Amino acid sequence: MNAPGTTSDPVPDRDAALHWRRVHPVTPMVRGWAVLGGALFIIGQQTLDGGPEEGGVIGLLTSPYWWTVPLGLVLVGLIGFGFAALAWRMTTYAVGDETVHLRRGVVFKQQRHARLDRLQAVDVRQPLVARLFGLSELKLEVAGGSDSGIAIGYLRDADASELRNELLARAAGLKSTTPAPVREEHETAGAPDHAGPGADAPAADAPVTAAPEAPEQPVLEVPMGRLIVSLLRTSVTIFFALFIAGLIVTVVVTGTPQVVFAVIAPFIGIGGYLFNRFSTEFAFRVAISADGIRLRHGLLETRAQTIPPGRVQAVSITQGLLWRGRDWWRVQVNVAGYAADAASGTSNVLLPVGTRDEALTVLSLVLPDLGVDDPRAVLEAGLSGDSRTPGPFTGSPRDAVWVDPIGWQRQGFAVTGRALLLRSGRLYRILTVVPHERTQSLGIAAGPLQRRLGLASFEVHSTPGPVSPGVHHLAAADAAELLEEQAARARSARAQAGPERWMEGPR
Amino acid sequence: MTSPFDPADVTWSRVSTRLTAARLIPATITFAVPVVAGTVLAATVSPWFWLLAGASVLLLVWTAIVVPRQVRAIGYAEREDDLLIRKGILFRSLTVVPYGRMQYVDVEAGPLDRKLGLAKVQLHTASVGTDAQIPGLPPQEAARLRDRLASRGEARLAGL
Repeated sequence: MNAPGTTSDPVPDRDAALHWRRVHPVTPMVRGWAVLGGALFIIGQQTLDGGPEEGGVIGLLTSPYWWTVPLGLVLVGLIGFGFAALAWRMTTYAVGDETVHLRRGVVFKQQRHARLDRLQAVDVRQPLVARLFGLSELKLEVAGGSDSGIAIGYLRDADASELRNELLARAAGLKSTTPAPVREEHETAGAPDHAGPGADAPAADAPVTAAPEAPEQPVLEVPMGRLIVSLLRTSVTIFFALFIAGLIVTVVVTGTPQVVFAVIAPFIGIGGYLFNRFSTEFAFRVAISADGIRLRHGLLETRAQTIPPGRVQAVSITQGLLWRGRDWWRVQVNVAGYAADAASGTSNVLLPVGTRDEALTVLSLVLPDLGVDDPRAVLEAGLSGDSRTPGPFTGSPRDAVWVDPIGWQRQGFAVTGRALLLRSGRLYRILTVVPHERTQSLGIAAGPLQRRLGLASFEVHSTPGPVSPGVHHLAAADAAELLEEQAARARSARAQAGPERWMEGPR
Repeated sequence: MTSPFDPADVTWSRVSTRLTAARLIPATITFAVPVVAGTVLAATVSPWFWLLAGASVLLLVWTAIVVPRQVRAIGYAEREDDLLIRKGILFRSLTVVPYGRMQYVDVEAGPLDRKLGLAKVQLHTASVGTDAQIPGLPPQEAARLRDRLASRGEARLAGL
């Protein structure tokens, strides 16, 4: 791997100046396994579904033609690894001053350029097999909908983090090609407007190397015990336990253990969900650097995410009923680049489980300034307050009890200088925070019953993700006023929003 | 009390009433199939099939009453910095789309729309939740709106 400094030649033609690099030669070894694994999975599934008496693989293995099975697997493996090797030959990438280029594709060639100032997040992924080889994949997220990012993989771990630092430095507006300005800009970079706790001081004396890693400060870590207990206290687990209890009762009462096989699919599904959450949220660590918030987590596949400042579109802090006793909260975000992952939601977690203090700390990392004198009081009211407790929140009128008998007292909104706060949910508490400048569009809606009661629901449209900000059953006049004012606030906040390149001065 | 769906000092533009025809013709075709099938089956197989035909006729009549009202309820207004779109009678909604948030604009016209001289303009922001479509615009109005939205969007361009 060459040093990033090689792109510094001042050649007028930009494309010619690019230094095209290959990914690590062991990549086909890592990727090829996926094909073999897929084949084994299909065979296994067929065998389980068909059963031994219908022929299938077990029938074949016990027949004189048993040797066709290993032969077939070897052939599939050869095809898989061969294709992966070809794909490796065709994959090259280059980093320009403002763009990242990736060429790939064996049959259908693809060339993709991603603008660095549009970069939304950078992830370094290490699947299990890649970890054995000490390799990782770099994934650049831009806001282009599903499959819009650039995945560069696999690279040696050190190279991947070096490349990540280089990309982040360039995306931040630091030119890493000429060492002298780096230092200068780094010194100005300590401006308090985007510095997390402690991030500004070390940034000033950053090393002069081509792409220094922005120094990071660990903020918190989720203990494994708490993660396990938190998963046991989700409604899914309770449902799971009831399901098993019901199953045992059914088997005992009817005396037909075959029932178990009939319901094994949902059993595996729920277990898989819980294991998946445990596995992705395992050893969750949060840190802050000048390049934004850093998240590291994962049991089998480890992932290191970097979300630069100003990329968070909306934040939600939620608490299920069973977490209330321990006062635990979960923090999730909408980031435009993570749209493709929104269904699984694994990339959008900022804090899988944490105390109230930890949740608010994490929130302050992504939204350092709420634009209010006593943010703690406002947030407390949003987290656990309702219309009976005094606070800055405007709630639903009494008539809302007819359309939302349980949660109407929790519905409410509060406006601060920098963000809109929406709270809802009496059993499952939700507080949503949307920075004014990240508002996409706004809407109000009312059904016949709501109109009869003089109510309307308000909604902020955010980028795809687990957070869908909205508040229901406001007084119609409040909703109309909020719509009008929020449109104006979003407009002026956008005009003053910081630059896409977070280390450059304001526009 | 004034309705929250009618902000003060906003003049709404209506969509073309030809949209009623554009919506009723496919509905009529859809409902004609069970009506015809029900009638034939009632005559040949069992009189119970009159229920199928009758229910379809009722639904068709209901559609014919509701659609013109729905079409009249659709409105849009271009303000200084954003576009307002409202729709619905029973379930009302009002959407505010800032020009600076627009990612792209679609203009669509199906075969029936073209025959009737209609087009649909749809605005897309970075959010999939933005339901900002204006159906039933005359083609020249759709083109004007598209260009105007595009130029205003450019003037107020912002990142995400």
